[in-house]
Amino acid sequence: MSGSIKEKMEAILTASGARGCVECGKCVAVCPMAEMYPNFGWEMSPRGIIRRTLTGEDLFQDPVIWCCTGCNAGTEVCPEGVSCRDLIRGLRCLAIEMGIQQQTRNCTICGAPFVSGPVVAFVRERLGHHTGDYMDTCPVCRQRRYAQRNA
Amino acid sequence: MLDRRNRSETTMTIADLQPVSRKIKPPRRPPVILFDPARCTGCGECETACANRHPLDATPAAAAIRVLTSEKDGRNFVVYCQHCQDPLCLEVCPTHAIQKGEDGIVRIDRRLCTDCGLCALACPEAAPLKDPVTGRIEKCDLCNGDPVCVKQCPEKALKLTRGKALGWIKLLRWPVQALAFFLLVMVFVGTFCYFRAGSVSLQCPAGFLQNLAASRTLWMIGLGSAAVLMVLTLLLGRVFCGWICPFGFFLDLVGKVTPKFGLPRFFKSRMIKYGVLAGAVGTSAGLGFQPFCTICPIGSLCRSYGPNGVLNGAQMAFFPLVAAFEVGERRSWCRYLCPVGAVLALAARIGLIKIVIGARQCKKFSCMRCADICPTGIIDREALMQGVSPKIPMAECIMCLRCVDQCPYGGAKIRFQWQKTAPGEGVIPDAWANPSKKEACT
Repeated sequence: MSGSIKEKMEAILTASGARGCVECGKCVAVCPMAEMYPNFGWEMSPRGIIRRTLTGEDLFQDPVIWCCTGCNAGTEVCPEGVSCRDLIRGLRCLAIEMGIQQQTRNCTICGAPFVSGPVVAFVRERLGHHTGDYMDTCPVCRQRRYAQRNA
Repeated sequence: MLDRRNRSETTMTIADLQPVSRKIKPPRRPPVILFDPARCTGCGECETACANRHPLDATPAAAAIRVLTSEKDGRNFVVYCQHCQDPLCLEVCPTHAIQKGEDGIVRIDRRLCTDCGLCALACPEAAPLKDPVTGRIEKCDLCNGDPVCVKQCPEKALKLTRGKALGWIKLLRWPVQALAFFLLVMVFVGTFCYFRAGSVSLQCPAGFLQNLAASRTLWMIGLGSAAVLMVLTLLLGRVFCGWICPFGFFLDLVGKVTPKFGLPRFFKSRMIKYGVLAGAVGTSAGLGFQPFCTICPIGSLCRSYGPNGVLNGAQMAFFPLVAAFEVGERRSWCRYLCPVGAVLALAARIGLIKIVIGARQCKKFSCMRCADICPTGIIDREALMQGVSPKIPMAECIMCLRCVDQCPYGGAKIRFQWQKTAPGEGVIPDAWANPSKKEACT
């Protein structure tokens, strides 16, 4: 992408189809974040994120954009074809690009970012006692390492 | 994009959302697929077969099984869901879409799954695979008990099994323990400490050391007899502790009925028993007699049978106290305190035999039965979790062979020290932590 932040923002909104949002709330109904975070609310929900983006709110400072798991659910149920996943992905990319905040975890083997901080924190909390260091590797590297150890 | 709304299986009724009233109890030995890396040629037949199960969305990437091939060292590996005893994916799934059925198969409920990928994140093997085209999570459901990958594998590298434990070592060990208890406690009263039948004599090695310190005289007969047990330990490991020791038998019996509450951390140091040994020998040297032997629970038990063999004084206090540690962990006395075990541990350290966990068939994190049943708790769960074969410290192993006996897949074995170990035993190889090794990670 090139151009100013505003142009990039426009590109993200167009690509994700966020302008078509009719605020029906179907994405909120299926969003797994509701089960994951106790502070789930309008600000964090896909509908809220879409609305806040459209009203020009500065979301790059807000840590809630890192809570999304990147699932398909909201996109699939949307009657208007809005992809909230793509929208959040775009927002994250912009936030990283502008150097405002970055809450991704990088794979310790390949170095690629593969998951965001709040998501991995949730997984660690759920698993509790057994949180091994395999959590720091992306699934592809983890498979390869497991194969290396066991083949 | 896959449209889930148009699929009949995605219809959800209100009855599906009701909580299940009865608790689902998976079978003790569920069916699993065993993979033999030595047979696998990496042909990918299993992937194709798996992807074509649902002809409507057949793409090679939609398989729930993935073949990893390494051209460099010519090794192949297959990643697939192991249907864990205690699935981690089930715990993290935010929508509770993953359930373990009554047949022991872990399934994803398509109506609830949001393809968020947290299950892949939680799995030590990352077995739930994300289809790169549709973004769907694919996880093995064992084809409801009749997997096509097993049928299609041309080299028979995949095998469906319910596992079969040996089971007979248990039937051997309990009678041996009972017989040893009977002989040492009831027939030859007071005999473990110094046991003499005709020309054969045996002495407790810890008692021998204390005797040496106390009397400052080396009794050759004592040395010889203590050496017998040491040589036995050198050859076979601490078989005395697991198979012969009457107090160990007693603890095993007590441990069968008592609940386990765990022990405080400061207590859980396996070095304490060496300290107890040093203390026992030291006090003997200082006092000129053997104070520890008077309260030693093993000796107390051996001397307790018969008309004049009741527990008395300090023994009366010490013996139940030690037995009470059994509510902490199984064989707490043997793990942390026993000085006799400490002497034998010194010999077992350089012994000939070792236990190998994690042979090719081992299911690692998904089973962990060996770690559950090990009475001394020396099988490293964390290593199994990481897919590494845990190294067994032979100094702590009491050679009860429960792991060898109970492993359903034959993954635990007895080997000589110089023989080959299980793949990837011990520490994690550093080569994989090296960031320069960026191969095909996206």
